[in-house]
Amino acid sequence: MKFAFTALTLAILASSPAFAAGSAADNVSANDPYVRLVPPGQNVTGAFVVFKNADDKDHKVVKADNPASKATELHTHVNEGGMMKMRPVKDIEIKSKGEAALKPGGLHIMLIDLKQTLKEGDNVPITVTFEDGSSKKFDAPVRKIQAAVPAPMPMDHEHMHGDMKH
Amino acid sequence: MTRKLLIAAILLLAIVLGWVVWFWQPAKDQAHQGISLADAPTGGDFTLQSANGPVSLHDLHGKVVLVYFGYTFCPDICPTSLAFTSQALNMLDKNELARTQVLFISVDPERDTLEKLKEYGAFFHPSILGLTGTPQEIATAARLYGASYARQNTGSAGGYVVDHSASTYVVDPDGKLAATLQHGTPPAEVAKAIRAALQGK
Repeated sequence: MKFAFTALTLAILASSPAFAAGSAADNVSANDPYVRLVPPGQNVTGAFVVFKNADDKDHKVVKADNPASKATELHTHVNEGGMMKMRPVKDIEIKSKGEAALKPGGLHIMLIDLKQTLKEGDNVPITVTFEDGSSKKFDAPVRKIQAAVPAPMPMDHEHMHGDMKH
Repeated sequence: MTRKLLIAAILLLAIVLGWVVWFWQPAKDQAHQGISLADAPTGGDFTLQSANGPVSLHDLHGKVVLVYFGYTFCPDICPTSLAFTSQALNMLDKNELARTQVLFISVDPERDTLEKLKEYGAFFHPSILGLTGTPQEIATAARLYGASYARQNTGSAGGYVVDHSASTYVVDPDGKLAATLQHGTPPAEVAKAIRAALQGK
């Protein structure tokens, strides 16, 4: 009887919010994901998505995987005085109650060495792993992006207006 | 006597200082290919290779030519630029389109073959022609338009990347550089720039 009571108490405590705040994967949602359609013969492309974090604490995507390419990496673009520089990033932070938007010209999941040509409408299941080891899988359809988002503004203000001719 | 020497010394130092301030330029860093963005573009003729043979800018005299430097391993910026450009081309009427040509010049001749470039350009729009050449030919063309590019090893499994300026250069029917459009210029603005160049503005 005593044992059962202890076990029950422990079970209730274990399921309370204090013990089970939920993993990063429980709290972060992947919204409107898609993969960019690229010309046949092209073997790299980018995947975009908006992560939203409903949790009280910040979370980070530390890794990404997918079956359509041999390697998957996290990258961003930096616009330094007009030069577009693409660089790997070790993680993507999603602040508590905030979001991280992976979109053309900025952060993206890079699919490297595509195993086959991706066609419009194909589906790529992407798995992202968070800092606490939890992971989340979502489907990203291949989309032909025509109405893309502009690149980040150059950080060098001297060059911002230097090229405009009227 | 001493006073004269002193004045002469001051004058000499002033001249040296003046020369240092106005004329002395330390050797530029040779590690980067291409040129710094500070160089003012003059535009001009160039010859590069396509899958169908050599193409010179002067061959396209009478047309408005949009010149863009990039490479096909670029998973995001180049497809975005070319998507915007092709949307702009789709806004032109038949006559305007017939007088417009887009050149996608690859700064990565090692990986971008002529056949690949032909496919790449056509994927976006039939009026986009993919070109490349020897590192020397590319550097010459880039210099004329103020484009810069630099190969970088970022440790990515995708291999090296080529940092590059992502502007689109608008050349008028007389072969003169008419405008430089920043990356991300909306298609409507690009179409406007093409029309302005067609009308010789």
